[in-house]
Parts: sequence; C-alpha cells; structure tokens
Amino acid sequence: MARERSDQSLARPVRRLMVGVIILCLILLVLIWRIDNTRVERIRAAIVDTFVPNMQWAMAPVNSLGRMVDDFQSYARLYEQNDQLRRELQQMRAWREAAIQLEQENARLLDLNRVQLDPELTFITGIVLADSGSTFRRSVLLNVGERDGILDGWATMDGLGVVGRISGVGPRTSRVLLLTDSNSRVPVTVQPSGQQAILMGDNTFAPVLEFLETPEDISAGDRIVTSGDGGLFPSGLLIGQVAITPDRRMRARLSADVSRLNFLRVMRSHEGNQLSDPGSLIGPPWPPEPAPTAPQNVLETGELEQ
Amino acid sequence: MIAKSSQHLWTYRAIFLCFCLTIISFKLLPLTLDQLRFPSPDILLAVTLSWLLRQPSVVPMVSIVAVFLLSDFLFQRPPGLWTLLVLLVSEGLRHERAKMTEFPFLVEWGLFAVAVFALLLMNRIALFVLMIDTDKLGIVLAHGIVTVGIYPAVVALSKYGLGLRKLRPVDSGSA
Repeated sequence: MARERSDQSLARPVRRLMVGVIILCLILLVLIWRIDNTRVERIRAAIVDTFVPNMQWAMAPVNSLGRMVDDFQSYARLYEQNDQLRRELQQMRAWREAAIQLEQENARLLDLNRVQLDPELTFITGIVLADSGSTFRRSVLLNVGERDGILDGWATMDGLGVVGRISGVGPRTSRVLLLTDSNSRVPVTVQPSGQQAILMGDNTFAPVLEFLETPEDISAGDRIVTSGDGGLFPSGLLIGQVAITPDRRMRARLSADVSRLNFLRVMRSHEGNQLSDPGSLIGPPWPPEPAPTAPQNVLETGELEQ
Repeated sequence: MIAKSSQHLWTYRAIFLCFCLTIISFKLLPLTLDQLRFPSPDILLAVTLSWLLRQPSVVPMVSIVAVFLLSDFLFQRPPGLWTLLVLLVSEGLRHERAKMTEFPFLVEWGLFAVAVFALLLMNRIALFVLMIDTDKLGIVLAHGIVTVGIYPAVVALSKYGLGLRKLRPVDSGSA
C-alpha cells in the first residue's frame, strides 16, 4: 500500500505534465485546422478513407436485418397491400399508354430538332457508404474517390433530382454535402417565372429559397432547377418544387429522396474550379500604366553624348 | 488478488474501447438520415463520463483522447476541439470524484448534467472565438437535454449488463 502511495506521488507530476502536453497538442491541432484548413481536411479524408471501407462487414448484417424487418411488416398486411397494388397497376397501365405515346412524340420532335445532348453531362455512379452527418451536419460518404476521377464541387444526383455536391475527396471515398446542410448554398431558377434565387440549406428537410425578387409571382408547386450561375453546377438540373410554409416562407421540396439515399450519380460537370487568385475589386478599370518615357530619354541622351 | 484485479481493469479498458468503436460505427451507418425530429443523444459522451465517474481507472486519458479524436475526424467536427473539451472536463470530474466519499446516484447524475452543459457552452464559446458557424441554440440545448436524459439507461446497462460496479469509498483510496 505504502509502495503504491509513493509511486503515485511520483506518477502524479508526470501525469500532470502529460495532460498539459496533450492539451497543448490538441489546441495546436485546432489552430492548425483553422489556419491551414485544406491540409488538415486532406488528413481527415485519409482517415475516413482508411476507416470507413472496413465497415462494410458491419453494414451487411444491419442492412439485411432492416430488410427482414421490412419484409415481415409487409407480410402482416399482405391483403391490403395486394389490393393497393392492383389499383396502382390499373393506374399504371393508363400511364404506360400515355408514356409510350409521349415517347414516340418526343423521339419525333428530337429527330426534327436534331438535338444533341450535352456530352459533358456524363456521370459516375457511387454507392452511399456511410452517413457521416449528425444532427448538425448533413453529408454522406460515397465509395468513389480520386481514383475514379472525382473532383471537388461536382453535382450529385439520385435518380430524380440534385442531392448535393462533392465536398472533400479521398483516394477511395468522397463526401457529399447535401443540399439540406446548413452550409449549402446553390443558385437556382424557379421555372415558370424564371426568377433567380439562392437555395439555402438549414438542416431541415426542406431548404429555404432566399433572395427572390418578386415572391408574389411564385406559387406552390413551381419547379426549381439549378441556374448554373457561378459555374459550379450545370444549369437545368431538377432540384424540386416550391412549397410555401404557414409562415409564408418559400421552401423547396426536394425531388431526391434525401432520407433514403443508396446510389448517387456524380455529374462530370466541370474541370474543377481552382481559386488561383484572391479575386479583384469590382470597379472601373485602372488607367493604363504610364509609359516609361523618362528613363528612355536619359538613355538616349547618354548615347548621344557617347 | 492484485493480478486478478489488474486483469479485470485491462478487460474493462478493452471493453470500453470496443464499445466506443461500435457506437462510432453505428453512428456512421446510413440508417439515421431522417433523425431530425428528435435530436440524437451523444451516447459516446454519456458512456465515457459515466464509466469515468464510476470507475475512473477504467477510462484512462489515452483512451479518451484516442476515441474522441477519431470521432472528431469521422463526424466532420473541428478536429481536436471536442476532444480537448472532453479531456478538460474529464480531468475535472476525476479530480472532483477523488475528493468525494459519499456518492449517491442523484449527485452523480447532477455532476454529469453540469459536465454536459459546461461542455456544450465551452464548445459554443470556442466556435464563436474561432469564427466557425455555430448551430442553432435550440438544437444544441435539446441535444444536451437528451444526452442527460439517457444517462440512467447507460448506467443501468453498464451496471447490470457489464457488471461495472460503482467504486466504494473504501476502494477509492487505493485506486
């Protein structure tokens, strides 16, 4: 017992020193992250890259368990489901007829117009590996990364609409910042009226539409598409529809099913925007530099003297 | 006897690390994309602090730093900041715990609540000073309240599920 006490008396200052050193290191880490963000974020991407793909063994049983629970629940209401499916099938038949007619018409029109689809809009499909978000951050991890040619800033869609954009690329994974994240700002166009707006995420399911010029012209259900301003997203990608909340604010009901993301398409939209200069002031152009006349004169006179 | 107890200690330390890794993995699984209506509790924090309050030697400083630094990196938080605050608070709790002889559950819970809200407050101040976007105060408070609320469940699990008993005043002198 006495031995332990003496050990402790020696161990205590050492321990205190260790706590101090660790605290200092952590403070340094935070400061470095704040100052040299990109480098630390690259380290973070590397850590995520090594840790997350190893988790697939853990995900397989959980996913299959979830599917089993779903299946079991569906057994419980087989009869009504059957009924519902029949009804839906009837509706679908009608829709299919309409779709076939539309497709033929569309093909005819495209042929008439000789429309070429934009070759830049090819895509890479990735699987959602993990949800690295929390109550405060909305982002998911994809299993495609630098290896597959993913670049920062590319738009990401599920089958229907825009989900978010790539923000952070590791060698084998990349992070998608969802439109619903509070850091997401996307320039959009509201379709029938053609007004420009900014779609601002606020960690709820429906991002807010801000900076509309005349909100009176907009009604619920209008289509929201990306405007392509700023060159980050290609223009004309579907985002969702306008919804008006009881407090008269405009929000976007996303077409993409953000709560159930599985496969995502990363649109190869641009070559990756690099910030090369800090940007210049917006204003009238500077007067041209005065021609260096005086030194030339001196030189000439010097030559004359010689 | 000593060998046995130290073996137990290392077992519990290993269990703690495994438990924390499991929690982190589960938080990373893409199951909880629509958890908005109800802020999720910070189970990692609850487990760490409850074990720290009950058996301080089971949760050494190194484990805390390792686990929280990893979670900082994986959950897209400012790396190191939350770890730093948790470390500070845990050292404070360790110190506070060593002075106490009587330790009823309500006092323990109260200490935990104070620790959680101190953490959230300090985190907010640090984010403000570093000029990083802070989250809405309402969500943060709800998060804290839910975390405090889950504490008895965590304690019950570690007591009846894992057999982690509370350190008695007799033991605390030698530990």
